[in-house]
Amino acid sequence: MALKSTTLENCPWGALVHLALFHDVTNAAFLHSQLLARNPEYEYAFIDASAIFSELQLLSAAYRAINAAATSALQTPNVHSEVILSLSPNNNIADAYRRWGISPKTTSLIVIKIIFHDSPSFPGPQPSAPEVWSTISRLVSGTPVDPFSDAAVRRETDWATVRKYYKLNGVPALQAIADDAARQQKMEQLAIMGMALRGL
Amino acid sequence: MPDSQGRRIALGCEGSANKLGIGIIAHDASGAAHVLSNVRHTFVSPPGTGFLPKDTAHHHRAFFVRVAKQALRDAGIAVSALDCICFTRGPGMGGPLTSVAVGARTLSLLWGKPLVGVNHCVGHIEMGRAITGAANPVVLYVSGGNTQVIAYAEQRYRIFGETLDIAVGNCLDRFARTLEISNDPAPGYNIEQLAKQGGRVLLDLPYAVKGMDCSFSGILGRADELAALMRTGGKGPDGEDFTPADLCFTLQETIFAMLVEITERAMAHVGSNQVLIVGGVGCNERLQDMMGKMAAERGGSVYATDERFCIDNGIMIAHAGLLAYETGFETALEESTCTQRFRTDEVFVKWRN
Amino acid sequence: MAATPAAASEPQFPLPSILNNPASAPPLLIAQGAEGRLYKTTYLVPDLACAVKYRPPKPYRHPVLDVRLTKARLSSEAKVLDRCARDGVPVPALYAIDAAGGWMALEWIDGPPVRQGINDWLGARPETDTTHADEQVDQTPLVDLMRRIGTVMGALHRTGVVHGDLTTSNMMLRPWKDGQGQNEGGEGTVLDGDVVLIDFGLATQSQSDEDRAVDLYVLERAFASTHPRAEAYFEYVLKAYGKTFKKAPSVLVKLADVRMRGRKRSMLG
Repeated sequence: MALKSTTLENCPWGALVHLALFHDVTNAAFLHSQLLARNPEYEYAFIDASAIFSELQLLSAAYRAINAAATSALQTPNVHSEVILSLSPNNNIADAYRRWGISPKTTSLIVIKIIFHDSPSFPGPQPSAPEVWSTISRLVSGTPVDPFSDAAVRRETDWATVRKYYKLNGVPALQAIADDAARQQKMEQLAIMGMALRGL
Repeated sequence: MPDSQGRRIALGCEGSANKLGIGIIAHDASGAAHVLSNVRHTFVSPPGTGFLPKDTAHHHRAFFVRVAKQALRDAGIAVSALDCICFTRGPGMGGPLTSVAVGARTLSLLWGKPLVGVNHCVGHIEMGRAITGAANPVVLYVSGGNTQVIAYAEQRYRIFGETLDIAVGNCLDRFARTLEISNDPAPGYNIEQLAKQGGRVLLDLPYAVKGMDCSFSGILGRADELAALMRTGGKGPDGEDFTPADLCFTLQETIFAMLVEITERAMAHVGSNQVLIVGGVGCNERLQDMMGKMAAERGGSVYATDERFCIDNGIMIAHAGLLAYETGFETALEESTCTQRFRTDEVFVKWRN
Repeated sequence: MAATPAAASEPQFPLPSILNNPASAPPLLIAQGAEGRLYKTTYLVPDLACAVKYRPPKPYRHPVLDVRLTKARLSSEAKVLDRCARDGVPVPALYAIDAAGGWMALEWIDGPPVRQGINDWLGARPETDTTHADEQVDQTPLVDLMRRIGTVMGALHRTGVVHGDLTTSNMMLRPWKDGQGQNEGGEGTVLDGDVVLIDFGLATQSQSDEDRAVDLYVLERAFASTHPRAEAYFEYVLKAYGKTFKKAPSVLVKLADVRMRGRKRSMLG
């Protein structure tokens, strides 16, 4: 199954985070329109893969969104739109949707679905991982990457976009590092820090 | 010399601010302190004004003999029973300190008793320890002239934190003047009573803590501005009118939170869970209550004294002076000067381990 | 000294609500100060260790004031860390923060505090009186560490931050990766590692010579009281600081003033 399902450490509401990556997506325009129409059948975090550089980045955004939901601090309609906002280092919601959300031109797509298994707001039985996967694979027209992995996510990364979105150009900490791998590691750390700092 | 019951007896004279106090203490053979008398007369200035050094000095001179006689009468002892005459060397206001020192020197010469100069702050600390039984507390000393967080180490009362500008009591006194609250019995007491009627809203005041130090002048300035705003019909953060009571409540909540915070930091630093509050502001029940909550959370407790001992008094000078005297300390007549600045940590505390 | 409270009477602190959620291992209380508590736990995945810093509500404080202060302080600390991280000052990365909840999650820095490194180094050389920079014992690793500390301090101040509570307990020695050892000859010592500054709870953004000098003075005092046998080596910290930081000369002049004042105040701690 191309769906990766994971719990998070110290995570409220018994959240299970489901992640999937698709190539060659052909119905991005349709998915985008369903989000704009607020069709509840399409309540997923549909993420354009180009400004995503790691699984940890995705999980960080998911964790922040889950904590916001659990502490009644959502700034967007639901936990999935909050995941998109949580990828951004600034509080402009429209900006976050445009940069990290799906666009009609998206071809590489990351889908996140968060299911709460222990939440007063979501009582009763919740869909299982196979059920989640069957719905996602029905909604998205594209080639699932199997298995979902950090390496697969990294193959889609457009680093110029990442640097621009997370304001990492001309940062002294990065300029000081000669080693490419170490510099990229620092870059990822600063980007995730930028996400955490949003709104302070 | 100890008397037939093994007691030593001292008379103490205090007048570093607007209270003239003379008290007599006895230390029994076991070292326990017994208050024989504790007489005080306060110079109260009209609302809207503070006490000036010249007027206060005059008050102390005018009342010294009366208060001293009363203290002797209350104690029911003969002059011959006294071992020494203790007086406040400082810190405090120059004129009032000098008036009382002159009185103490006169008694010393008249009765042929040795003089013992005492640090006012150490007087507060030792009296607080004696009355409450707190063995080795972190001490918050808060009065009109002083704001210090103190802990004992190696023969000195070390100052861990203090105000960087005005004293907390001075801040309260001056705000009482802004609101033209009565100075009788004390401006701080009247602010405390008024604050009990406030609390509907917490207004926004600066919060000025830096490490274990704090400052109050910015807070006073902002409180004065809010008082002016109130008089011109300004609204609080909830869009409603606010009252002098709300202002007093806010001021107390803010500055006491600062005091408790720096005290807690010092307690964490030295690993103590006892705290002793001394000085005139230490009478404030809200401050005691807040300090108690903090101490309880640390598994300890707060020790405080009532107005007889936390407000400036002669007995604490007698007590601290007698402790020093018992270790062989005396102040020669020619060295019995006063000083407006006299830091707590300058005193060599020979009587403690 | 007053009797220290028995272990049984130590208050049991409630966990911040975020740490009541399931995790692969229970959170470990690492430190408990006046400001708050530090837990070691995991972030997102079981193999990513993190430090959770929690500022619990203070029951003595008016709730409005309490929320205001907790938020402001966490937020200020996070911003200082961001500023340092982007300017290349070695500090823990920030993973997550919930100012209203009173907590933040930080990168867990492996390695011992500098304090322990120096004590271990000195402890292994009990015969050495290092107070006069004994020439006969090779103190190169200690001198190197002092220089690394000075370099980090210079970088910190250059970025416009003063730490506010510098001690050798608030500096970690993050182990070098294989082959990164900067010592000639290859043999590792207990003083190896990158100096990483931690605990910015009292840090402020400031460019003033006075604040910077006080920052150095606090470290100097802490160093002297914690490592009296190595006091003579503190000068290497200041020398490296001087080389790293362009504005160091005026700070060091101010430091002399601050030392004078400090003696006058004769404070402890």
